[in-house]
Amino acid sequence: MTILQYQDLEFGDELPEVTPDVSMPTIRRFGEASGMTYWRFTDHEKARAAGLPGAIVPGIMSQGILVALIHRWAPSATVHKIDTIFRAPLDVDSQPVCRGVVTDMNDETKTIEIDLTICNETGETRVLGTAVVELP
Amino acid sequence: MILDLHSHSTVSDDGRAKVENYCQWIKRKEIPIDGFVLTEHRLYDDASDYRSLEDQFGLLILKASEVETEYGHVLVFGVTQELQAAFNFSQINLSLATVLEESERCGGIAVPCHPGRPRVGMCAHIGTRGEVEGVRTIETLNGGSRGNENEQAASLAARKGYARIGGSDSHIVSHIGRCATRLHAEVRDMNELVASLKEGGCEAVKLEDRAWIPES
Repeated sequence: MTILQYQDLEFGDELPEVTPDVSMPTIRRFGEASGMTYWRFTDHEKARAAGLPGAIVPGIMSQGILVALIHRWAPSATVHKIDTIFRAPLDVDSQPVCRGVVTDMNDETKTIEIDLTICNETGETRVLGTAVVELP
Repeated sequence: MILDLHSHSTVSDDGRAKVENYCQWIKRKEIPIDGFVLTEHRLYDDASDYRSLEDQFGLLILKASEVETEYGHVLVFGVTQELQAAFNFSQINLSLATVLEESERCGGIAVPCHPGRPRVGMCAHIGTRGEVEGVRTIETLNGGSRGNENEQAASLAARKGYARIGGSDSHIVSHIGRCATRLHAEVRDMNELVASLKEGGCEAVKLEDRAWIPES
């Protein structure tokens, strides 16, 4: 379901969940496109040797995934701000779930705030944040 | 009576939730909770007055603090002017013994939170720094815990005979009320909450399918 206008929204509305592709081939393609080709993102073995649980998803990719979550739900939305807190690494080759929910609405400016989370397979929140979004 | 004893608003440096939105969320999602305590990081929020929100939403909204010690983070309930003068809330290397002692002296209670968490939880430091005297209650259910952090906290509580509380540790609106504390006595203000915690009349609970269940 997509949202076209502010008037279609209610406080507490949930955005459709997204399971993003964070497989190693995708991470490597993102790395080449963005310059984030460091081993901690693209090489499980080296990442483990450095004490990480394995290669981790770049933070800016997580932000991009969350913005995509918003635009998939509201294609005409303008994202004014996205603010993320990285609580724990998001593992490459995991199957995370991205969620969003409307937690504030301003009728005058037609802007909303959305709580955003990326959870791992066990439901642990790895990335959380908020976005300020304007709708027509 | 159910209260979420650990939450953060935009007053905390990493908090993103407005208190009014917490209230709206609780009502909209029909979370069966009677109120929550704002435990802002490294400060006590003297300025904010939430009485109109309490009236509007029928919720109890209390204020406390989360301070940082050499044994990890600690919730402080019953903050007074006297307690704020006793140690510097903004410091990140407070002495846990001082926080415990001064809180008691000033009529409050200090409760180590997320003790199973690496670096900022008490369990990780007991091995190197030794056991802690003066703790009577710890947080054994924290909504932000990962892995077996809550289980470690519960084991510590069982070993030491500590009373247990729960809190969501929410930093965004939709995380309020994930975990909470069932208080055996009716609580109408911070003094009554502190009294209830000192008596050990509390248990940690988590929300599943709109029902509170005790920690497993």
